[in-house]
Amino acid sequence: MPSTREELDLDQSLDTTTDSPWVVIVWNDPINLMSYVTLVLRKVFGYSLEKATQLMLDVHHKGRAVVSSGPRERAELDVYRLHEHGLWATMQKDGNDK
Amino acid sequence: MRRRASGPFQLQADGSFRVNLPPDVRELLVHLFGELRDVLTQGNTSDPALRRLFPVAYHDDAERDAEYQDLMRSELVASRLTAISRVTEAIGGGDRLEPGDMDLLLQSLNAVRLLLGTMLNVSEADETESGTDDPDDPVAAQAHLYSYLGWLLEAAVGAAIAAVPDGGNPPKLR
Repeated sequence: MPSTREELDLDQSLDTTTDSPWVVIVWNDPINLMSYVTLVLRKVFGYSLEKATQLMLDVHHKGRAVVSSGPRERAELDVYRLHEHGLWATMQKDGNDK
Repeated sequence: MRRRASGPFQLQADGSFRVNLPPDVRELLVHLFGELRDVLTQGNTSDPALRRLFPVAYHDDAERDAEYQDLMRSELVASRLTAISRVTEAIGGGDRLEPGDMDLLLQSLNAVRLLLGTMLNVSEADETESGTDDPDDPVAAQAHLYSYLGWLLEAAVGAAIAAVPDGGNPPKLR
């Protein structure tokens, strides 16, 4: 049977994994207007025109772009705001590249 | 991108927007927003036809996505219904959009386009398509409506951009 100390260490290890950053991804889609996507990125995240435009172009040309990162709860809120605006957004753990 | 000196929506000095739409276009929009409301209140939000309005959140974790959807789906429906209600009132009954209402108009117009585009199975290759000109072809009529709504949304985006400072701004929508 593991000692209490070992169980505690294991729990802390799991917590560290759970708290690793999450990334929010916007995927390319054929319906949303490029100008609309840029505007939404500026309004939701407060990005400059230059940054929002670059992210939109990454989405358009590369198929997707990471638009924000942070704790899981923050990423869920970002995804929700993007869904409200009709963008095709998902989230995953940083490094889980599928 | 098309730039217009004047258009359907004009930013005013106080941050509101003047709406320059003829009555038939206002009626069309009110009708479309009503249809969107009916779909949201009477339809099944898991219907594949609504997949663009309710995308998955966790694309690589079905279990977490189910939890997320349990918590957030009803909130997203409620948010869309609130937006529809406010823009229907503004577009149907006046010439002025408050700054916050413009964002709701953008969301609602875009939601109608997402529904219509999904029905039409729009793909990247269709960007320049205009459909047939047969007035009796319902698909052609939907394609023309889709194109028109794209033009109107572009005009609304153009007006809304004028209200956002170039250097970026603190997040306002949280």
